[in-house]
Amino acid sequence: MAAWSSSCLTPASRRRILPGFGLSLACTLAYLSLLILLPLSGLAFRASDLGPVELWAIATGERALASYRVTFGASLLAATINAFFGLIVAWILVRYSFPGKRAIDALVDLPFALPTAVAGITLATLYADNGWIGRHLEPLGVKVAFTPFGIVVALTFIGLPFVVRTLQPVIEDIESEVEEAAASLGASRWQTFIRVLFPAIFPALLTGFTLAFSRSVGEYGSVIFIAGNMPLISEITPLLIISKLEQYDVVGATALAMVMLIISFVMLLAVNALQWWAANRHSGCSPSLGAHQ
Amino acid sequence: MSIEIRGIGKRFGNFVALEDISLHIPTGELVALLGPSGCGKTTLLRIIAGMETADVGQVLFAGEEAAHVHARDRKVGFVFQHYALFRHMSVFENVAFGLRVKARKVRPAEAEIRSRVTALLKLVQLDWLADRYPSQLSGGQRQRIALARALAVEPRVLLLDEPFGALDTRVRKELRRWLRRLHDEMQISSVFVTHDQEEALEVADRVVVMNQGRIEQIGSPDEVYSSPATPFVYQFLGNVNVFHSRVHGAWAEVAAERPEGGPESAVTAFVRPHDIEIEHHPLTGGLEATVQEVHAIGPWVRVELAHASELIEVELTRERATILALAEGQLVWLKPRQLRVFAAPGKTMEEGGSGI
Repeated sequence: MAAWSSSCLTPASRRRILPGFGLSLACTLAYLSLLILLPLSGLAFRASDLGPVELWAIATGERALASYRVTFGASLLAATINAFFGLIVAWILVRYSFPGKRAIDALVDLPFALPTAVAGITLATLYADNGWIGRHLEPLGVKVAFTPFGIVVALTFIGLPFVVRTLQPVIEDIESEVEEAAASLGASRWQTFIRVLFPAIFPALLTGFTLAFSRSVGEYGSVIFIAGNMPLISEITPLLIISKLEQYDVVGATALAMVMLIISFVMLLAVNALQWWAANRHSGCSPSLGAHQ
Repeated sequence: MSIEIRGIGKRFGNFVALEDISLHIPTGELVALLGPSGCGKTTLLRIIAGMETADVGQVLFAGEEAAHVHARDRKVGFVFQHYALFRHMSVFENVAFGLRVKARKVRPAEAEIRSRVTALLKLVQLDWLADRYPSQLSGGQRQRIALARALAVEPRVLLLDEPFGALDTRVRKELRRWLRRLHDEMQISSVFVTHDQEEALEVADRVVVMNQGRIEQIGSPDEVYSSPATPFVYQFLGNVNVFHSRVHGAWAEVAAERPEGGPESAVTAFVRPHDIEIEHHPLTGGLEATVQEVHAIGPWVRVELAHASELIEVELTRERATILALAEGQLVWLKPRQLRVFAAPGKTMEEGGSGI
């Protein structure tokens, strides 16, 4: 409804009833500029010290390219895994009541609360060749720690709460009557899920996916402990930036940061556009009819 | 298709929602389940639909036990109070839903689906809204779409749960008449739940009055209104004055009705406000009362009178009120034209005065 009304405002209804719009807008803009725009433009400014040819050379170096692949690939994979399992977790937490439900609900927040370094060390210990889990995976020929696979594990760990917490309120909102209506019309459980429930959940799932993905792209602390950080294989871009900074190669670090910024921005924009489309395709503007309730 | 309900009982924890309900609904009948909220009428409807299971008893569709038939296989059309339309589907797709989810072998071809949905939308007079989404419709339009959606699968039984409960009075009246016509055209059995006695009396062939999980009375709208079987039905269907005590028992005799158990026992007498006559002069067996307030409400004039500590409500036609020219504080005599006496101090909804 919110989207509907905002997109259907006629000039006459633009008169504001709430006071303080000017002041709060100014506050918001100033705050956002200071916090987000200023550092970002500083970054762009710094990067412009380099000539385009130099910039391109650094940004497309072999090590850099490999690190993009690892970072964005692992993030995408982790976010996808989380979208799938997060949906199941959220669904169970909302729809069923069982002993220990509250404990599990609280557990979901753990990756939020845990310092990322702690998570990284814990995961690395668990999945190392002699760790509790790694020990059993080793004979199967599966190596997790110190491989790109380990990065995916770490990113999945930290991304889960984003999906679950985004989905929960949306699933709670689905009326059971809608499911009953589908059943009375002859739909099976599966058909009800695919045709009725999933379309209702999808925009939120996309939001959760985006949040988990963005978080993963920027993740540093938990990844470096489990990744092994081998150049060209399991080195993430944030780590590459850090190592460049440690060598006082500020310009090189800035160039990589610029690339990260641009890719992230484009991806977020794309997902946001998708979200907007998913949320708005079912409500148009028809002021004459309006919503009755 | 006929529906037979035998000895249905249902509890939610300690709360008895339904107790020993038996009811037969022949093919083609439109039945109203009428009762106050919490009387179990919606639970009964949901049991018929297969959305709830009864603790005891049977539901038979056309003579066949339906207990193990899942809601989706019952061929029952269900209409919800709050429409329960699929928000992300257009009106057309909402109506087509029941056809699209059919197994491939029995699913109609796309062209067939199109023509059937269009026909249904025409039936509910909303074919011009096919491409809209539910959020763009008014409440009345949404409910008609919900009905079209339920009818798309050609149900054998149509169940409606307070279908007009969320609509305003004018739309509600219009849809009522429309539902009646539709029911007659489709020739199916319909059951609808309502707490609105006017709605039940106007639309239904038969009214089932329910209270506290039990059936109080089953009968035609005229029967339940003019000869209520229990004090509850009397009070639930329309306004009523309730009198207790022997004195009023004597009053009852005036109207030539003898309470069972003799004049000495305590009785409760029920008189509808429009069944009381007001006179300026004393009447034999008449009740003395003082006029307290006079309101003109639409075609009626409602007079509130005080008899001792009891409040009596009388409805007069405008003509009669003009002739009487009642004024506040005036002393008048009342005489019932028609009243009903229940012997025991019946379970009444409230003590004395007027019901509802």
